[in-house]
Amino acid sequence: MTVKKANLAEQDFDSAHPINKLRELNKLKKRSEQRQDSLARRLRAGEHAAATELVDIYYKQIYLFMRRLGHDRQVSEDLTQESFLNAWHHIGQLRDGKALNGWLYRIAGNVSKLYWRKHKGKKTASLEGFDISDSNNAQHDKVERNELLEQLKNAVARLPIKLRQTVVLHYIQQLTIAESADAAGVRQGTFKSRLNRALTALRKQVT
Amino acid sequence: MGKEEELKELLNKLPDVTTEPIPQGLSEDIKRQIPHRLSPHRGGINTINIIIDFRINKLAAAAAIIITIIFCATFLGGRDSAGGSVLQDSMLLIKYWGAANASNISVGRSKYEHLLSRGEDVVWYGDGLDSKDNSAVLMQRRLADGTYEVTFVDGHEQQVNSEELIKLLSRMLQKRTK
Repeated sequence: MTVKKANLAEQDFDSAHPINKLRELNKLKKRSEQRQDSLARRLRAGEHAAATELVDIYYKQIYLFMRRLGHDRQVSEDLTQESFLNAWHHIGQLRDGKALNGWLYRIAGNVSKLYWRKHKGKKTASLEGFDISDSNNAQHDKVERNELLEQLKNAVARLPIKLRQTVVLHYIQQLTIAESADAAGVRQGTFKSRLNRALTALRKQVT
Repeated sequence: MGKEEELKELLNKLPDVTTEPIPQGLSEDIKRQIPHRLSPHRGGINTINIIIDFRINKLAAAAAIIITIIFCATFLGGRDSAGGSVLQDSMLLIKYWGAANASNISVGRSKYEHLLSRGEDVVWYGDGLDSKDNSAVLMQRRLADGTYEVTFVDGHEQQVNSEELIKLLSRMLQKRTK
């Protein structure tokens, strides 16, 4: 009996156990939510240190978001800076920690949209600029899989801007549907419908 | 694995294959642009931002703001003693300012109309005047203390009593008859 109890206790501390993994994940999620809430509160209070923290957390994501939307390196750099500048000016529109992702990506999305509007004739640098062989994960994948990924990248790059933004937000930037819809400035239903349209188009192109 | 699942699995792999080194110094550049004190918007600025967020053309946004101001001034603002609407006054003022590059006489005429619309006691002498004669009187305006403010063709003004005014006017008439 004592041995059994000891075993159970050991199991409780075993981090590899699925239930413990789930608990660990929930804890991490809660901690991250609390951190975002506190960050949003500090930003709304006008704390300079909070702004620095926001830059540290998001500048890479926003830069890559711009690249994935089809801007070249130099433009992506400029647009990332512009997004943060706009963020400082719209700090009053930030509601809470949950809205942080959607708020910042919406600003970045609008900055990108305005850029395309001003440079209508400009060609997109697109996702084709990235090299699959750079990825460590991809090195271990089969050649066929790499080819499919290459096809998919090109197909995403060819999508109309709205559909491309949908795919980039949800699958590549890995925002939730709610966050992505907020970032795209549409209702969740509209966002899901756009996502379906995008997936249908991609399915046709990737064989 | 179905085609749908396979596509989604591939899509989930895209973050790894669509990444690249971030330019050095980007975060520092962004941090340098953080305002010393971040402050949430005041109401007025928010209104402008809402209009801009609607992605209205800048000209349309400016027109919307001007119309709002005129609307507020007409229905909520005070009135001057002369009667008429704020809109009319504004139009006259715009007309007055707009005429700044035209000849001195037309500027004077705009000013005269503006003063007249405000109910001021003004007399216009500008019709048929020689614009090159700087001493010619364009108009007179009776002031509250009984004196007159005389405006000349070159735009300068002079405050005179009734006797001086008569002298100025008679001198001008003499020149005209010659």
